[in-house]
Amino acid sequence: MREFEYVRAGEVGQAVAMVTADPETSYLAGGTTQLDLMKDGVLAPDRLVDITRLPLGGVTRDGDVLRVGALASMEELAADPTVAERLPFLREALLMGASPQLRNMATIGGNLLQRTRCRYFRDPAVSACNKRRRGTGCAAVQEVARMHAILGASEHCIALHPSDMAVALVALDAVVHLLGAGGSRSVPIREFYLLPGDTPDVENVLRHGELITAVEVPLLPPGARSTYLKVRDRASYEFALTSAAVALRIDGGVIGEARVAMGGVGTVPWRATTTEQMLEGSPPSPEVFAAAAELAITDPYVVPGTAFKVELAKRTVARALRTAATQGGPR
Amino acid sequence: MTTVEQRTGLVGQGVDRVDGPLKVTGAARYPNDFSYPDLAYAALVRSTVAAGRISRLDTAAALASPGVLAVITHQNAPRLERAPDSGLTAPPPPLQDDRITFHGQYVAVVVADSAEEATAAARRVEAEYEPAEPILDMGDPRAEWITDPWGTDSSRGDLKGALASAEVRFEATYTTAANSNSPMGLFSTVAVWDGDDLTIHDSTQWPSYLRKAIAQVFSLPEGNVRVLCPYVGGAFGAGLRAWPHIMLAALAARTVGRPVKLVLTRPEMFTGVGHRTASEQCVKLGATRDGRLVALAHESTTPLQIEGTQFEPCTAGSASAYACPNVITRDRQVRLNIPWCNFMRAPGEAQGNFALESAMDELAYELGMDPLELRLRNYSEDNPRLELPWSSKSLRECYEVGAERFGWSRRSPEPGSMRDGDSLIGYGVAGVSFFWYQEPCEARATLRKDGTAVVRSAVTDIGTGTYTVMTQLSAECLGLDMAHVTFELGDSDLPAGAAAGGSGLTAAVGSAVQAACRNLVRAFLDTVRDDPTSPLQGCTIDEVSVGGGRIHRIDAPESGEAYADILAAHGIGELSADGSSTPNDPKVAGMAPSGAFAARFVEVRVDPDLGLMQVARVVSVVDAGRILNEKTATSQIMGGTVGGIGMAMLEEIVTDPGTGRVANATFGDYLIPVNADIPDMEVAFVGRPDRFNSVGVKGVGEIGLVGIGAAIANAVHHATGRRVRSLPITIEQLF
Ligand SMILES: Cc1cc2nc3c(=O)[nH]c(=O)nc-3n(C[C@H](O)[C@H](O)[C@H](O)COP(=O)(O)OP(=O)(O)OC[C@H]3O[C@@H](n4cnc5c(N)ncnc54)[C@H](O)[C@@H]3O)c2cc1C
Ligand code: SF4
Repeated sequence: MREFEYVRAGEVGQAVAMVTADPETSYLAGGTTQLDLMKDGVLAPDRLVDITRLPLGGVTRDGDVLRVGALASMEELAADPTVAERLPFLREALLMGASPQLRNMATIGGNLLQRTRCRYFRDPAVSACNKRRRGTGCAAVQEVARMHAILGASEHCIALHPSDMAVALVALDAVVHLLGAGGSRSVPIREFYLLPGDTPDVENVLRHGELITAVEVPLLPPGARSTYLKVRDRASYEFALTSAAVALRIDGGVIGEARVAMGGVGTVPWRATTTEQMLEGSPPSPEVFAAAAELAITDPYVVPGTAFKVELAKRTVARALRTAATQGGPR
Repeated sequence: MTTVEQRTGLVGQGVDRVDGPLKVTGAARYPNDFSYPDLAYAALVRSTVAAGRISRLDTAAALASPGVLAVITHQNAPRLERAPDSGLTAPPPPLQDDRITFHGQYVAVVVADSAEEATAAARRVEAEYEPAEPILDMGDPRAEWITDPWGTDSSRGDLKGALASAEVRFEATYTTAANSNSPMGLFSTVAVWDGDDLTIHDSTQWPSYLRKAIAQVFSLPEGNVRVLCPYVGGAFGAGLRAWPHIMLAALAARTVGRPVKLVLTRPEMFTGVGHRTASEQCVKLGATRDGRLVALAHESTTPLQIEGTQFEPCTAGSASAYACPNVITRDRQVRLNIPWCNFMRAPGEAQGNFALESAMDELAYELGMDPLELRLRNYSEDNPRLELPWSSKSLRECYEVGAERFGWSRRSPEPGSMRDGDSLIGYGVAGVSFFWYQEPCEARATLRKDGTAVVRSAVTDIGTGTYTVMTQLSAECLGLDMAHVTFELGDSDLPAGAAAGGSGLTAAVGSAVQAACRNLVRAFLDTVRDDPTSPLQGCTIDEVSVGGGRIHRIDAPESGEAYADILAAHGIGELSADGSSTPNDPKVAGMAPSGAFAARFVEVRVDPDLGLMQVARVVSVVDAGRILNEKTATSQIMGGTVGGIGMAMLEEIVTDPGTGRVANATFGDYLIPVNADIPDMEVAFVGRPDRFNSVGVKGVGEIGLVGIGAAIANAVHHATGRRVRSLPITIEQLF
């Protein structure tokens, strides 16, 4: 790791000013992404501004909206009673991520900004990586890809957005609050992430120096049924091959509202809108779920190692829908 | 004299590890825990091509980096000699020329005041290569093939004829992935020169060999080198060679004139200390309708690095696993531009057993026979290859006890017929006949005037329990409380020790310890031979027994004398005796030396929609001869089982087909099981003391890993009707 300067920010404005002023300065929250990548030589900022002492923590409820401070930890959010009651699949998504040790360090803001696990991205000895350096090519497409995306991908980059939590947040239409040198703004999470196109190094709408201050999460309606299903190689402590975050409101034998998002398949957390459209107004039957899940994957970009995900993702969605409808009720 | 054959007292009991408190309190010092004043740190630079030559090395930026003391490359490294063979060719000394034979080969070592400075500077070494097209695929026509690499191929009867006329024939190809030893403890070397004397703290499994190797590499008398490894953070075979990084640490220390510490990074552990080779194996079986094997052919091809050797006999075990008159076993190796292949827990056996025991299962289904019954029907009462009786074999009992404990009779034969909700349930079985191995070993036992003993041998305890079982054995042989015995190991200055490998250490060092203790008792008898005041005067070793810190007459147990009293009476400070062991000769002994045997029973649950598999239960019944410590032996089988589950479900070194780079050289990418993947594991031991060594043991270090792959694959087939012939079995193959 290269030598760098470490600054602990005392207040929010100062932190934003410091990072905005210098392209070689980055924020440091829990450090579980940032420091890993620095140790591996992928990132080499001159300075880190530690934001963990800033007053950006806490989880508060305001009517039907949950306001989550950017510095709340994954464990803290998972333990929140409102989350357990009204956002159970968000809780599941959080608790199926990483390990307890990591979840106690990792923050919600950092989680949204975690970088891809693409092993070509994470090894600077590999020269071809458009995400690390635009225009160098994509080693993953050439070599062996598996933990990679099939949606929103192209020969420029097939890197997966690995967050579990973000999948649930995308299903929920959460809103990300940002503070920059020029003021604050709010961005719906579905507009927050950018498809890689031929600029995979640009992952979201965040401008350099902009700070995530909070995430607002609309609560599910009382009585909604939800689940997060994560399909992975080992039973714990591993990223998703495919996952699905599903929430259903079933009124009188008909699906009134469906929220379906997928992980493990997209270059960004992926909302399955066509699936939702088909579900809404239909009865919650296994046949409907299977047919709706078929629509979840359209125009995939696959390489040999990721081809299996097309079918697996559909089955994951179908199973999650079935589980939500039968077991995902209010607790 | 009482020996362990009578199974009294301490030996066998599941006593706690003597080193347990030290380990859990952090007081046990592993190689990287050692520090010295003025310690410098080394970091390695590795090649980023798999074949070719270094065309340019620019070290200026690294040299100018803060804290850097030296950058050593092939351009400025002194000439080093090649280490002697250990049975296997030693890796060539590093940095001797510009040739690259695998991705990850060391091209420079940077030495600095701190580990961080060394690492940062290592990234600044600029290397350019004149790459050659690497050979990475066993199908590459340029690859060099080696047939019968170790003379272990076998042939008996008329295989061709028997296959042609067999009532039932079966043939299939099986593959296993390359696996990484990757013990938790990163391999570390601390090298300290004092003039021409060199002390090395290292993660080795074999200090006696490493000392010889390092001495030869640096052209030193062997006595100038001391290797210390009292604690090793796991190794699984990775510590059985004199690896180049050890030499680089010593070289770096000599260059900068300071002690140097080198700790491999996790990615370096994947390229620098060997790995289990992948394998491609073909099994052909011929049988009668009623399930008697008439023909068995097992052929294997495994990759090998470009230079040097590796002993990886995947098929050798098949020659003696079953009673079958017509057998051919063949191993081949293919040289590729890959990192060094090396021993990993159950080398050859782990892969070979998967193929053979899967094929036996497939044959059972073809015959419509219970897979367990097929194995019993072809039970080899004698070793069919050597045509000698086994020194011990209770595999039949393993099957019987295992089937009973597992509830094998509850299995409904039809694949896919057992279900629980979304899960299909499958039962699988595999038998294991592990190889025998033993090396010469020496030990020394000393009794001190306070009546305590210290027993020593230059062996290692890589977490297996050697400290504990040798303390038990010594205490029993000398008739002392365990608290009064210390066992010392992990120091090449001690009597030459065997490697902690091949599941052969306990027999080797145990026999040497036994001999040393017996000789020590003799020495005491010699001391009192002419002492009229001693009740033991004139006694021979066969007339006495030991217990309670004293030697006494067998015919008159009250007549005896304490060790401490004898020493005091004769004004002796302490008394020592040496003992040694050499492996028995099968022909002289008139028996075929047995390794351990085992039956593995596995239940899996498969969600066929999503391809999710969970191992629900494992029952292992093992015949390992005499068990010296039920607890540590059980732990060995459990640990091996976890390794087996890893091999079966998760572990696979992925190599980039274009560059030969190991693509998943981190624990984030190379998956090993976590707790949630591990079911209840029941372990039971059966059998009798083995007759081939005086302690009666057969090793338990490796067998725990063997058979799990096949038992899981067989259970998957039973659950789903799907036959998976390649490991690891991943989600792609199951949904
Ligand atoms: C071994 C391992 C396993 C994991 N498994 C999973 C998993 O299964 N599922 C899953 O979802 N995740 C997983 N993770 C990822 C983990 O959730 C993220 O690393 C973590 O959430 C990041 O949060 P952090 O606070 O540590 O971020 P940091 O590492 O501190 O920061 C990450 C990035 O965000 C920036 N940043 C942080 N906070 C802010 C802010 N408020 N405003 C602007 N920029 C900011 C930093 O500059 C940095 O670029 C795993 C991580 C590891 C190491
Ligand atoms: S997939 Fe993206 S991150 Fe991975 S190597 Fe290709 S460009 Fe880089």
